[in-house]
Amino acid sequence: MIYFYDGTECAFLCALALAFCDGDAILTSRDAQLSLGQQSTFVRADPERAERVRKRLLSFDKNCMRDLSALLRCGDACRDAAALGYFKLLAERREPVRDMLAEPAVAAATECIRRVNYEVHRFHGFVRFLESESGALYAPISPDNDICDLLLPHFKARLPQFPFVIHDVKRKKAAVYDGEHTFLAPLERAEVALSADETAWQALWKRYYASVNIPARERLKQMRGYMPVRYWKFMPEKQLASLRQS
Amino acid sequence: MFDKHAFVCYNGGMISEERLRILTESAKYDVSCSSSGSARKNAGGMGNGYVAGCCHSFTPDGRCISLLKILMSNDCAFDCKYCMSRRSSDVPRASASPEEICELVIDFYKRNYIEGLFLSSAVHVSPNHTMEQLLLTVKKLRTEYGFHGYIHLKGIPKADPMLAFEAAKYADRMSYNIELPSERSLKLLAPQKSRESLLAPMRALSERRTAFKEEKRRGYFLPAGQTTQMIVGASPEPDGQILRLSQALYRANGLKRVYFSSYIPVVRDSLLPDRPAAAIREHRLYQADWLLRFYGFSAEEIAAESENLSLDVDPKCAWALKNMHLFPVEVNRAPLEVLLRVPGIGAQSAYKIMQARRYTQLTFADLKRMRVVLKRARHFITAGGKFYGEKREQMVRGLLAAGENSANAVQLSMFSEMEAARSALTGQL
Repeated sequence: MIYFYDGTECAFLCALALAFCDGDAILTSRDAQLSLGQQSTFVRADPERAERVRKRLLSFDKNCMRDLSALLRCGDACRDAAALGYFKLLAERREPVRDMLAEPAVAAATECIRRVNYEVHRFHGFVRFLESESGALYAPISPDNDICDLLLPHFKARLPQFPFVIHDVKRKKAAVYDGEHTFLAPLERAEVALSADETAWQALWKRYYASVNIPARERLKQMRGYMPVRYWKFMPEKQLASLRQS
Repeated sequence: MFDKHAFVCYNGGMISEERLRILTESAKYDVSCSSSGSARKNAGGMGNGYVAGCCHSFTPDGRCISLLKILMSNDCAFDCKYCMSRRSSDVPRASASPEEICELVIDFYKRNYIEGLFLSSAVHVSPNHTMEQLLLTVKKLRTEYGFHGYIHLKGIPKADPMLAFEAAKYADRMSYNIELPSERSLKLLAPQKSRESLLAPMRALSERRTAFKEEKRRGYFLPAGQTTQMIVGASPEPDGQILRLSQALYRANGLKRVYFSSYIPVVRDSLLPDRPAAAIREHRLYQADWLLRFYGFSAEEIAAESENLSLDVDPKCAWALKNMHLFPVEVNRAPLEVLLRVPGIGAQSAYKIMQARRYTQLTFADLKRMRVVLKRARHFITAGGKFYGEKREQMVRGLLAAGENSANAVQLSMFSEMEAARSALTGQL
């Protein structure tokens, strides 16, 4: 049986309850190709049922919801299978399975969670704010995983006086700090009037980037390994590089 | 509700692109870029520390940009042979005012370009004058501009120690470059500096820091400690001697890091080699440095005092090949410190193995699934009694070296390094 669910935590927990006794269960939150004779069902989110499942899982492992939250943020296609496998194992063993790294289900889930956490860490560095006329900051990003709200605590702690918006343009939502509170909001497109100095500071940053490089020691592969090309789109310093290459 | 001028008082101008270029290009050969080790809190201004450190960008040379690395001035009174800013060198000179530096930091930091400031300077006018300027800048940045991000400050040798102690209250990390691995080379290549003028302030800061911690005083005193760096390949010291020096600095002076920068000829001088030092040597030294700091090795185990590290295999492999009687070890039983000594098994893999084996008897398939890299390790471990490596020691060495070389294979040319030429002669790729 293929269980379709909407990708939310609530629907996942309901789907898990259904899929638990089904040996060939496939769980998915995306389009899936059905094979001949395969049955499918759409799992509706039922908050009461989800709450019962959540309580039961928490009785086995009090930290497991943190894992689920990270797993459901993972943008990788294999995350549904990984999450199902991980929580099935948890329900079977009735004790924390996090450290059973030799279990295929745990290895797969650990890898998904690692990717999410690693991307959060990367974006602590790779976010590039633009200064608007009002002094508020705006940063467009398009990360692999659904992480924009996870970036909020970090930037709120270091820029408490600056309201900012981190806009996930791929998922059309934004993590917002209004100078007091943080929240998540849908955001299709944003028009930002830049401050008078913004272009000049960007030019200085590009100049710095070009100057600090040691051309005699070119290691492009290493650079791309640490900072993959897909992240360059919103980095001013890499706009210059792409202009020069073309 | 929000006023960008509320905390920051602007009284300088924006630095020009040209001066930024000059001051950056003179600073870029300093290797340290790390922003780790400080948990400084935001106290109502801008910024905080990030204990794990954070990279904000990477340049085409593969290095990370974490801090704004810049000189206050490249107008130097000293004449160190290897340095492009030396007095006798004909390069454009520039200086920046404390306000210009502060504003650059604030505006770069706000846009999340950088994690903080790495401020250094040529010895402008005199050591004391230079140190005063550096101190003035970091003090201004912390107090007037309300900046709580990371600051790495370079200490100026021969400046009044009181200036360094004062600066340590504002900086997260300070470093005095030891420059060259021996007193003799220092005399030859950096005539105005002496070993003592570099080590004494390091020791003094280290003592103060210990006292500060013991007395549990308020505020900060170099929360991220001290580091140093030395140039490798400009002078004849062997790796064994360099590693012993690093070890002594870690043990006796409580340094956090010793950086190596392989020599790049930026200025010509009859006392200096014409060719740059091989990047692979620097890489091997760092691998050995990691063994000292995280893997429980001592310098004596890694290389004899007059010996250089093998360029063919990494230092852990080289050690294991010399100690084959200790291997193979069983991954299901070996204690952590033994696992850490297996070539190819890093700290992360070792901890993963320790966790996973509490639940099951690990096999090679399990290790693979756990993403433990077995290319080198398989010659040195058994899993559940099974061994999949090569038993003959000579073959192991060949396989390990071959695995290394295919990764950084380059077309041979007449000017290739000696080691590449040797491998062409022996047919060993």
